[in-house]
Amino acid sequence: MEKRFDKQSTECLTNSDSKAYQRVDRYGFEKSEDFKHEFHEELKADYVAVLTRRSKKWSKLLQDTERVEKNMKVKRYVRKGIPCEYRSEIWMACSGAQDQLESNAGYYDSLLKIEHDSKLEEVIRADMHRTFPDNIQFRVSSQPCLQNALFNILLAYGHHNKDVGYCQGMNFIAGYLLIITKDEEKSFWLLDALLSRILTDYYTPNMLGLRVDQEVLGELVKMKVPAVWETMKRHDVMWTLVVSRWFICLYVDILPVETVLRIWDCLFFEGSKILFRVALTLIRHHQTLISQSQSLPEICERFKQIIRGEYVEDCHSFMQKIFMEPGGLSSATITKFRKMWRNNITADTKTPH
Amino acid sequence: MSETYDFLFKFLVIGNAGTGKSCLLHQFIEKRFKDDSNHTIGVEFGSKIISVVNKSVKLQIWDTAGQERFRSVTRSYYRGAAGALLVYDITSRETYNALTNWLTDARMLASQNIVIILCGNKKDLDADREVTFLEASRFAQENELMFLETSALTGENVEEAFVQCARKILNKIESGELDPERMGSGIQYGDAALRQLRSPRRAQAESVQECGC
Repeated sequence: MEKRFDKQSTECLTNSDSKAYQRVDRYGFEKSEDFKHEFHEELKADYVAVLTRRSKKWSKLLQDTERVEKNMKVKRYVRKGIPCEYRSEIWMACSGAQDQLESNAGYYDSLLKIEHDSKLEEVIRADMHRTFPDNIQFRVSSQPCLQNALFNILLAYGHHNKDVGYCQGMNFIAGYLLIITKDEEKSFWLLDALLSRILTDYYTPNMLGLRVDQEVLGELVKMKVPAVWETMKRHDVMWTLVVSRWFICLYVDILPVETVLRIWDCLFFEGSKILFRVALTLIRHHQTLISQSQSLPEICERFKQIIRGEYVEDCHSFMQKIFMEPGGLSSATITKFRKMWRNNITADTKTPH
Repeated sequence: MSETYDFLFKFLVIGNAGTGKSCLLHQFIEKRFKDDSNHTIGVEFGSKIISVVNKSVKLQIWDTAGQERFRSVTRSYYRGAAGALLVYDITSRETYNALTNWLTDARMLASQNIVIILCGNKKDLDADREVTFLEASRFAQENELMFLETSALTGENVEEAFVQCARKILNKIESGELDPERMGSGIQYGDAALRQLRSPRRAQAESVQECGC
């Protein structure tokens, strides 16, 4: 079983075929047909400068420390973006995944060796060809094909966390983890950090954590962007309709890859609050557009519109905005709303219809 | 861009994961088979105007994720659907066995009067068939469903499935069995033309104002 990939060959996907190189981004995703090259070239030049600067800072930071600590300085660094070359290491360290990996040596491999639940296996297999068909690394023809590694991670995870098993969406998350870490075992422990600590109950069979957070977002929008809240109410649109995919996929396949990775930097370091910040920023920034919707389908359409374009492509500015635009967002507020909605939803489920 | 239609129907596409719901919808709207996309999470949305018995009907179609646990999320969209495609995969008995559950959900959450067409998809994979046509048509009959075997790959019967379902709803409106003006019927008037037919005086007053939407 090929578990660890040759680091150099996949470090940052370079391709000697210049045509192929232009078609595919550094992570292996094919660029969409409406890809605006000019805008991206300009953006890339600016961002490369940022990355170079950040890279130096990180290199210095890591030089002096045996292990990354969770302090204010690192938090500030993380918010400004973790360079590609350090991402895997920092995610592992600040999410607790590294500790788990070290104190459970051999555990991942043992999960792959046990007799597998054939039902679980079948469900996961059914999604393999439907996970990033637009990424060349996930093609059956590619060497190595990440589909196999992805399958292993999900299968191992399903056995490790029986309450969750496999939930669609986990495939996209594990897929991104693989692209970044290029290592099955690390991806497994990062997935565990997300599912069992950072986003509890999102992927369990009743998806309670997810359903609660969708409503919490509603409460936050009511507080911070009342015009949009009114519009949603007027057209009787449930939050789940427009944001379930955002939360389940942690913005994978919603926002541009680079932007998602920057969000995940903070997700691993700071926790799930960041998901609300992103959603609130998108909604607040486009509140006029959303509020002008005349019907439910129009609202849906506009919620799709706001996740595209330069505003989200420019990941560095976008990440600055998510900490400014929605204003203060205290953990106490979120905890309060979560508690309230957990009670509401649980009570509602118990009531016979 | 102006769109004119006589009616708007809300439709659902439901059924187990991997039965080809999104591919059916894509084939219907784009007339092409698409097998290179990520699977659906939550709900996707599509619409198309079709012509049925001299009426133009806009279908507003909600395509749902099929995995069991997503039902706790997707059930919220059932409300007020006028029609549904209930999809299983002819090469997978498991997806067929799940039909009863889907049906109960649809009738309970959407509306008792929801018009449902059962679609045995992947008709092109006849060699791997696990569910016979006869068996499924009996099930359809017992449960008062229309029934077609479809292929999102070749396009066979895809348009027909949507059209037949819409036609049945139109028939029910004309016979008075369905009242579009009832709350949660999943039906809306597209413009004043039809109301004019049904209640001339009231509609004439309305038709003076042209609707710009």
